[in-house]
Amino acid sequence: MKNKILSGKNILVTGTARGMGRQMVETFAEMGANVFAHARKFTEQHTDYCKEIADKFDTKIIPVYFELTNADEIKRGIGEIRATKIPVNGLVNNAGITLNALFQMTTMEDVRNQFEVNFFAPFLLTQYIVKLMVRNKSGSIVNISSSAAQDGNSGKSAYGASKAALICMTRCLSEELAVNGIRANAICPGVTETDMVATMPDYAVNLQLESTFLGKFGKVSDIANAAAFLLSDYSSYITGQIIRVDGGVTEYGKRQS
Amino acid sequence: MLTGKNIVVTGCLQGIGKATLKTFAENGANVFACAYAANDEFENFCKDLADKNAVKITPIYFDMSDNAAVVAAAKKIQSAKEEIHGLVNIAGINNDALFPMVTYKDLFDTFQVNFFAQIIFSQYIVRLMQRKKTVGSIVFTSSISALDGNRGQTAYGASKAALIGAMKTMALELGEFNIRVNAIAPGVIKSPMTDKLPENILASKIKTMDIPRLGEVAEVAKLYLFLMSDLSSHFTGQVIRIDGGMG
Repeated sequence: MKNKILSGKNILVTGTARGMGRQMVETFAEMGANVFAHARKFTEQHTDYCKEIADKFDTKIIPVYFELTNADEIKRGIGEIRATKIPVNGLVNNAGITLNALFQMTTMEDVRNQFEVNFFAPFLLTQYIVKLMVRNKSGSIVNISSSAAQDGNSGKSAYGASKAALICMTRCLSEELAVNGIRANAICPGVTETDMVATMPDYAVNLQLESTFLGKFGKVSDIANAAAFLLSDYSSYITGQIIRVDGGVTEYGKRQS
Repeated sequence: MLTGKNIVVTGCLQGIGKATLKTFAENGANVFACAYAANDEFENFCKDLADKNAVKITPIYFDMSDNAAVVAAAKKIQSAKEEIHGLVNIAGINNDALFPMVTYKDLFDTFQVNFFAQIIFSQYIVRLMQRKKTVGSIVFTSSISALDGNRGQTAYGASKAALIGAMKTMALELGEFNIRVNAIAPGVIKSPMTDKLPENILASKIKTMDIPRLGEVAEVAKLYLFLMSDLSSHFTGQVIRIDGGMG
């Protein structure tokens, strides 16, 4: 039984169909939160999951569906959230897409796609959510960036840059919104056991494991737990921070991931 | 959040350490509460905490400026024959002086308590963890002065920066034993250490914070709580600022 460090909080998480986002719905619910669980498209599998988690932990899990690549869609989605009259206390900008492409092979369309989902969408979405948070004079925003944003790895010029932009946004938000009682932090996961790892070649997996202090990859629950801490009142004096959850990586490992 | 864990905390007599001791006990941990010297108030504080939360609080007294005392204290903890799951190094001193005025003695005294003693003490605790193959967590208390610099804190800042250097290598070496090592870097926290600061200095510090107030010791205690708990099981080698957004 986990401590209910999020009881009474209502949290919007984007990208909950899979991976970290899906885990966050469960972790946050287990810790007592109600969750707006965003996904791109309605699927029965997703609504079933939301229902299952809600029943299991006796909290509200409200699925919301909208495309992040369309400003009108985001606006409509926010309208749905507002219509519930449930105040939003926390936001996790988790949804993201990845790209492995050498710099010279990266098309401008690729770059635009990366920024569209990884940066512009959270930017606009956060603007809407902040409007709601300001009314309550409190809130916590957690942006899921990436170790690639700080380390700059081969093949990650577009992805890493979009995640680095998110870091800058986090720091600006922290400074601008503290007067409204809103904190903003970012998490930089290292290699985490998601669908993304499954696509890595064996040699890359071994090299990464060798250069990770704990000798293992992160689990999605590791990232969800870190986000829960930053959303909770347990981190009330922590803002503007970029927190790595990477199991400890040597400088060499950072350059190779 | 810490039920069933045995944790060693140094610097429990006042300020951040005392708040951390309280938070840990409230979260179900048994604590070896290390302090500089015994007094009735502290003894009663420990007893109350233990009774109220049904945990074991064992006060351990030693002066960190005396290496022999540090070793003796570590051995005393060892003799309790408990598994040790966590170590939070909080005890520290500051001898503030502008750079040209820093004496060798100030420098040495600061490093003795803030660095040498903590390394020696941690070595003993790590050995206990390794012997029992415990999944352990160690946290050092660095400072934003180590990262940003701060007027009058050449000695203090350097000693706290040294801790970060040691922490990084410890994290690297101890990862394979499932022992995590991290540091926190508090900003300006309302505690006996900052009570001495003049109003105008405090005001100028607050101006640089996103959250424009001093931090509370209880807020720092909650960060230690997180780092001691299994919620942070993939955190290692990190320096985490808790500064209300100063940098």
